[in-house]
Amino acid sequence: MSTKIDTLDMFKTVAARVDKREFQHLTRESVITDLGIDSLSMMQIVGEMETELDVMIPDEDLVELVTVGDLCDKVEARLGKTV
Amino acid sequence: MSRLEEKLFAEYTTFFEKAERERRWNVYTDIPWTQVNREATEDLALCAETFCSVEMYLPDYVAGGINVVRKYFGQAWFQANWGYEESKHSLALMQYLLRSGKRTEEQMMDLQNRLFEKKWDLPFHTARQMTFYGCVQEMATCVIYLKHRERAAAENDVCLKTIYDYVARDEMAHTRFYQGVIKVLLEEDRPGTLADMAHVFANFEMPGVGLVPDYDSRILKMRDAGIDRSVFIQKIYMPILKYLGVSRHEMLATQRTALENRADARAATAVAGSILTA
Repeated sequence: MSTKIDTLDMFKTVAARVDKREFQHLTRESVITDLGIDSLSMMQIVGEMETELDVMIPDEDLVELVTVGDLCDKVEARLGKTV
Repeated sequence: MSRLEEKLFAEYTTFFEKAERERRWNVYTDIPWTQVNREATEDLALCAETFCSVEMYLPDYVAGGINVVRKYFGQAWFQANWGYEESKHSLALMQYLLRSGKRTEEQMMDLQNRLFEKKWDLPFHTARQMTFYGCVQEMATCVIYLKHRERAAAENDVCLKTIYDYVARDEMAHTRFYQGVIKVLLEEDRPGTLADMAHVFANFEMPGVGLVPDYDSRILKMRDAGIDRSVFIQKIYMPILKYLGVSRHEMLATQRTALENRADARAATAVAGSILTA
């Protein structure tokens, strides 16, 4: 049985925790740099999502992230498309 | 000499021996000054002038940097050598600006006077944090110089390309020294060193920010050959961690604390600013 995980919702929660501000209005199309999330915060968000979901995104994939959806796609691919 | 001091001194002697054997270069005889492209764009010159400007705060870097590591013989001696090498960088770039005809001596003197109206202060205040700051800063500088080397090559300026070659090689050697020291410090106190690494990553700024005149407009000209988020992750953050044998997951706990502290500090600054402007 697969579990539905809303990776966008998880991103909002983790990003809010890391950057101590709300990200309620972002979408999968939101560009990460436009959100004011810097490199280090992004690495933290990725790492915390990986830990919570017990997945690992290869380092080389992390440089390709432009939008929030790019990260969600990577996470979902690692979850084996169980979302 | 303690065991730690012995290790740090060994790092320095390894660095210095290699520098003497493989890496020394002469500003006056090793740069192909006749191959300056006087027709190169002003953007190329402006970027060289900006790098030169950042390098010109050398007295502040040396004074601050050497005092914070003064009791560590190897590191203090490294700082002295570092100062010598960095002085060559600013001298080479200054010579480029003059010999290319892009700047006059009067313009360079005026720039120097404007530069020295401000003083660079230590961004961090412990030897370990400053060592890691040096590691990140030298790596970032190396990446930027390598990008500008390609830019100079594209504009057929062999002289400036050669300068960036030498300077980038020096910056990489400095990075390797700092990384060697951090490896030693990780062996001595891994949790404490990781915490300092996270703190420095979270609060890192290049040294020219807020100092070099017209820095923001200069950065706009340099942005294409600068460091964006993906470059920072790919060329600086990941390689440094990999070299040090630290996974990005090992950084998570200390990084979380560092980012929370940074967010709190920014919030406090914003509140203080709003009170002052109210």
